[in-house]
Parts: sequence; C-alpha cells; structure tokens
Amino acid sequence: MRVPIPTVKPMNAIAFTDVTKRYGDVLAVDGLDLEVPAGATVALLGPNGAGKSTSINMLLGLLRPSSGEIRVFGEPPETAVANGEIGAMLQEGALIPELTVAETVDFVRRLYPRPLPLEEILRLADLTELTRRRADRLSGGQTQRVRFALAIAGGPRLLLLDEPTAAMDVESRRTFWDNMRAYAARGRTILFATHYLEEADENADRVVVIARGRVVADGSAAAIKAGVAGQAVSFLLGEQPVAGLDALPGTTGVELQGGRVTLRTTDLDATVAALYRKTTLDIRDLQLHGADLEDAFLALTKEA
Amino acid sequence: MRHYIKVELLRMLRNKRYVIFVVAFPVGFYLLYSNLWGSESDQATGLRGSVLLMVSMAAYGALAAAMMSTAVPWSQERHSGWLRQLQITPLPGRAIILTKLVSSLLLVLPSLLLVGLAAVLTQDVSLSPARWVELILAMWAGTIPFAALGLAIGSLLPPDTAQPVAMIGMFGLALLGGLWFPESMMPAAMKSIAHVTPSYDYARIGWRIAAGEAPHAADAAGILAWGVALVVLALVAYRRATVRA
Repeated sequence: MRVPIPTVKPMNAIAFTDVTKRYGDVLAVDGLDLEVPAGATVALLGPNGAGKSTSINMLLGLLRPSSGEIRVFGEPPETAVANGEIGAMLQEGALIPELTVAETVDFVRRLYPRPLPLEEILRLADLTELTRRRADRLSGGQTQRVRFALAIAGGPRLLLLDEPTAAMDVESRRTFWDNMRAYAARGRTILFATHYLEEADENADRVVVIARGRVVADGSAAAIKAGVAGQAVSFLLGEQPVAGLDALPGTTGVELQGGRVTLRTTDLDATVAALYRKTTLDIRDLQLHGADLEDAFLALTKEA
Repeated sequence: MRHYIKVELLRMLRNKRYVIFVVAFPVGFYLLYSNLWGSESDQATGLRGSVLLMVSMAAYGALAAAMMSTAVPWSQERHSGWLRQLQITPLPGRAIILTKLVSSLLLVLPSLLLVGLAAVLTQDVSLSPARWVELILAMWAGTIPFAALGLAIGSLLPPDTAQPVAMIGMFGLALLGGLWFPESMMPAAMKSIAHVTPSYDYARIGWRIAAGEAPHAADAAGILAWGVALVVLALVAYRRATVRA
C-alpha cells in the first residue's frame, strides 16, 4: 500500500527521537536525535564503536531500540522494510555460492513490490560484464558490487550503506561512489556510515559526526571544519607587544612561545586580514594552519 | 515465494555434495548391492532382495536429501549474512522457513525416483501402479521429520558444527533404521535404540507397502510423533535463530 506524501511539510526519510540502545552494560547508542529529510545524502561519520552500525541495524528493524522511537518515512522500520522502502548494504553479507550474479540480483529484485529493471540494476552496479559468473568465483570488490546491486534492486527510496567501501581498492572506491551518486541523483535518500573522512567530505551533502552513541556535530563538511578551533595563524612577534591580539575577529586563543605567537581562530581569513589592516605589527614568517575534516573529526570524537 | 523455491532448487542441484551423497550414492549402492543380493529373499519381510534394497536405498537417499539440503546450507546462510540480506527485503520471515521445508521435500524426489527407476530398469522390479503411488507418497511424506531435524540443526548450530552433526545424524539414522544392514544383524543394545528412531519406522513403512501390506500402526504412530516433535523443534529453533534483539 502506498501512502501519499503530504505536500505541505516534507516528510523526513529518517527520524530518530531520543533513541537508546543498550547491550547489557554497554550503551551503544545514547539518546540519538537525528532527522534526515527525503532526498538528502548524509554521511554518518564516527570511529569504530561509535554506534553507526547499531543505528543502521535499528533503521532496518534488525535491532530494536531499548528506548526512543525510530521512523522511516513516518512508519516503523519493520513496516518500511515490508513495504520495500529500504535497501541496504550491511557490513557482512556473503552471497549464495552456487548462484550467478544475474540469478542473485533477479531473485532479490523480485521480492520487492516496485523493483528496478534487471538491466538497469546491473548497469548501475557495473555488473553487465559479470552477469553469468557464479558468486563463488567473484573477487572481493566484485562481491561488493553485487551487494550494492542487491541494495538498490528494489528501487528503495532510502538506501543505507554501512562502510560500503571497506573491502575495495582505490579504483573500485571511486567507481562505487560514482554509482552511488547516480542512484542518489534520482531524488533518493542515502545514509552511509564511514570512518573515511574524505568519503564523507566528497560524497555527502551533510555530515553527522557521532561518537559514543551521540551526535557530536551535524552540518556540511565545511561547517564542521569551521566549527572546530583547528585553524591557526602563527608568526614571529619578537619583542612586540602581544596585547590586543585576542580581540582580532575570529580569534579564540593566543599562545606565545619563544617569540612566536599562535592565534587560534574559527575564521582564518578574517583573522589574517585584521592582522594586517588593524595592527601596525611587523609580521614575519607568517604560517597558516587550516583545519581539515580529519582535525575536526579528531577534536570532536576524542574523549571529553 | 515460488521464485524463491526455484532458486533454492537450482542452487542445490548445482551443489556437488548434494548430488554425490543424495543422488549418486543411493543409486550407485543400489546397483552394487542388488547385483550381489538382489535375487535372495528376506526372511523378515518376505521381500525379494531387489525390492527390499530399493526401499532401503531410496529411504537412505531421501533421508540424506532431507538433511543435506537443510542443515548445513541453512546454518551457512545464517552465519554468512545471507539471512540478514533476506530479512531486510519485504520477504516475510515465515516464508523463509516454509521455503526451506518445501524445497527440501522437493529435493528428496530425485533419489526416491531414481532408485525406483534403477530397480525397474536393472532388476525388473514390478509393483502395481497403485502400490508405486502409495510407496512413493508414503516415503515422500515420511521425510518431513528428517527435513525438520536438518532445519533445527541449521538453526541451532554454527556451520562448522552443523556439518559433522548433520553427517553423523544422517549416517546414524540410516544405520539404525536398518537401511545399510538388516536389523537382525544388530547387537541387542543397538536394536533397542533402533526401535525408537524415526528412520526405523520410516524404513518399515516402506517395506510393508512394497510387500503389499498395510504399515504397522506402531510404525505410523512413531513417525507421526517424531514428525510433530521435530517440526515443533524446528519452528522454535528458527524463531530463536531469527529473533530481533
């Protein structure tokens, strides 16, 4: 049964409301709140054990939250799965060794109410050359492509990918993300978990950083970088006075060490511009330290 | 679900272990044994050797097919992540176990029919059409407990233990059922164990029908009780294996 999508308020593809998942004494997910509007491509970025896989498994109804509520297109995960709204590529998943690529993909696509045509799936997953190969004769990277094909076979509105490129080489990775973007371009919602920062930066409109089961940052990759005091400008101050430097725009901290001053800043450009325009200091050996997502990530996820 | 069953059959027919243990073994041994003892007459059942061995080898093949097509493949699917792959599709959970059971029962048919065919073609075994139908239907339905046992093993054990347990179970049940050598040759202790196994009931039902007599009520009741118990066990084990934490 298809539920008409309300036009007034766009429906969230994913909504976690204060979700907790406990395994015995271990709190894998700790009060997670997260909304993903339909059509977005979101990266779930976090170190191992941050709760990424647990969250994805709960979205699929494979795990039940200990408390809180999860909705997928406004429905409980089990209903969304039963309606064929979700496709997923989980971390582990072998194929049936005796079946060929085309047989496997066709079998899974037929389980969905509104599948994509077989040829289209095989094309989107770069499998047209491998259709008649048996699953036990595929390389690791080829198996991953088949698993991607299985995830999109039903033409799901929501695609979940749990560290999809873990077993791939550089070349396969690039092709994989191209394929993923081709699927996303049709207005589908995508949530992928990764601990590769460049992947999140390059392939998502929005990055949600989670650590210890909680959202610690949420925004575009650029906004997350800017929100972290990982950027700095330093120069040789010599005997000149340090006073007033902490009042420069964007500056969050001033350190002086052996005649070299380091200004921590959230806005590198503004700080540097003000340094030249609003002070009369003689600035030598200027060095800039831009934050990359790696710094932001480390700063956000290290133990508080 | 029909497509799912088709896929299950296709993969098992491509599986070497299935084909060897289930199709080649019973037919091969039937040809060998019936050439040795085919013309002798069995005291206990009054059957000619070629008919007795036909039932024994068909029963062994059916029992093996029911267990080999369930225990290890199912255990592997649970552990390899294939089950999860199915659980995140719209396929309902009960369809998975039902498909496994139905596929297993269909995979029993090649050994039943091929051994029967070998008996007709090489040993001139002839039964009335009604008796053939009765024999094949009884021996087919009688594999339900073994398929359920295989599914229970696959649900309860990881693949590396499911493999030896299924093998031991299969050969053990075949031996105790008197499929490989007659009950009269068994030591007393083995005989008393044999009498409570489902394979013993299963084989005796087959021999009685082949001899043109109605099966003993005790044998029918025995296999029925085993069938109910093992199907319940398989369902409970399946629920346990697929429960969502």
